[in-house]
Amino acid sequence: MDGLILASTEALKLLFTGDPDTWEIVGISFLVSFRAILFIVPLALVVAFTLAYGEFPGRRILITIFNSMIAIPAVVVGLLLYMLLYSSGPFGGWRLLFTQTAMIIGQMILAFPLLVAMTHVALQGVDLNAWQTARTLGAGTVRAMFTIMREVRFGLIAAIVTAFGRVVSEVGCSIMVGGNILHETRNIPTAIALETSKGNFEQGIALGAVLITLALALNFVVAMFRGRDRARH
Amino acid sequence: MNAQELISFRNIRKTLLRRRVLDVDEMIVYEGECAVLHGENGAGKSTLMKIIAGLIAPDSGVVKIGGKTMSWRLAYRTFRKEVVYLHQSPFLFDRSVAENISYGLQTRGLGRNIIRDKVESAIKWAGLSQLAARNARDLSGGEKQRVALTRARILEPRLLLLDEPTSAMDHESREQTFELIRDLADSGITVYISTHESARFYQPDRIIKMARGKLL
Repeated sequence: MDGLILASTEALKLLFTGDPDTWEIVGISFLVSFRAILFIVPLALVVAFTLAYGEFPGRRILITIFNSMIAIPAVVVGLLLYMLLYSSGPFGGWRLLFTQTAMIIGQMILAFPLLVAMTHVALQGVDLNAWQTARTLGAGTVRAMFTIMREVRFGLIAAIVTAFGRVVSEVGCSIMVGGNILHETRNIPTAIALETSKGNFEQGIALGAVLITLALALNFVVAMFRGRDRARH
Repeated sequence: MNAQELISFRNIRKTLLRRRVLDVDEMIVYEGECAVLHGENGAGKSTLMKIIAGLIAPDSGVVKIGGKTMSWRLAYRTFRKEVVYLHQSPFLFDRSVAENISYGLQTRGLGRNIIRDKVESAIKWAGLSQLAARNARDLSGGEKQRVALTRARILEPRLLLLDEPTSAMDHESREQTFELIRDLADSGITVYISTHESARFYQPDRIIKMARGKLL
């Protein structure tokens, strides 16, 4: 018990004295996950709209696949990506393994089905006539999409925040394709795993505290937007 | 009728869930007329209107505009901005009444001042001045229909399609809506109304009867 209290006190010191190593890891985590979400959101929106408003064979099967892919373990994505990016793999020549780019790609793959599924659910919540109304009033496809996005903005924000929460805390994919290299690809979850295995609990607890605070904040934001969404409909 | 032909449709067919819901050999829409599509629920009125508005594609059929025969898809591209369709339960965006009314003008890329003037004038026409700043979602059914009609009228369409515009309305709202529709028809806009109720309330130039997807 004394050890835990001591480690926690040291962890707080690391956070509040601005320990450069700790905050660098936090910075890498946020930067990688933010970019992953930023890059994948447009594609996820287009796919979700196509699933919601498109009429084509296999639509229902695709929806089921995306819903199922939400549960895909991060480590499996990491493994597949590792095999693709490994020096003798099909994309080995690109030399992306153990870089932040590889981590971003991995997190994009992880976030994609979640974003598609949650956006699709949000779009299903809007009146079926919304799309046709925008179109009959002269909106082109892109403008109609933005109009509907505004209608479901709270659901969309909830989807983005949830996806960010999922990727910023995943360890399996980041450690496999990032390699946990200090100052380069070490992010919060991989640093916690490493420091704990070495018996250095202070930094692990400090980073864990950042992650828990983030998780609470994100959940609060999601709950707030869900509440607003329900109030509007 | 001596009126000029605006648009005509031939051999329009539509099948939904393996059931033929529309089977129209010929339909001619005349410029400036007010017509009522009359039939029971499920007669195919809404499907026909949505096809005319370009919102759903028929399985087959050709369209004639200005004497030229073309495929439905090409006709839709040509005619899209001339037709406005109003749903039975109009969808209003989660914005103010004024913003809802200005939506279609924005899609046409008009200047801000022109939009403001047109919206002000349209709001006065519909007697919505007191409601202009209110969120459209907070309005009653009758008020929503008036906003939707105003939003359509402001675009000055050549053809306005109204799908059961007064269903589930109280007496006062129905009277107000009839008045607005008659005013729209008198202004020269071609107005097509679908209804399963009595057509006489709309004082139409023509009543087109529909049953089981066919024009009678």
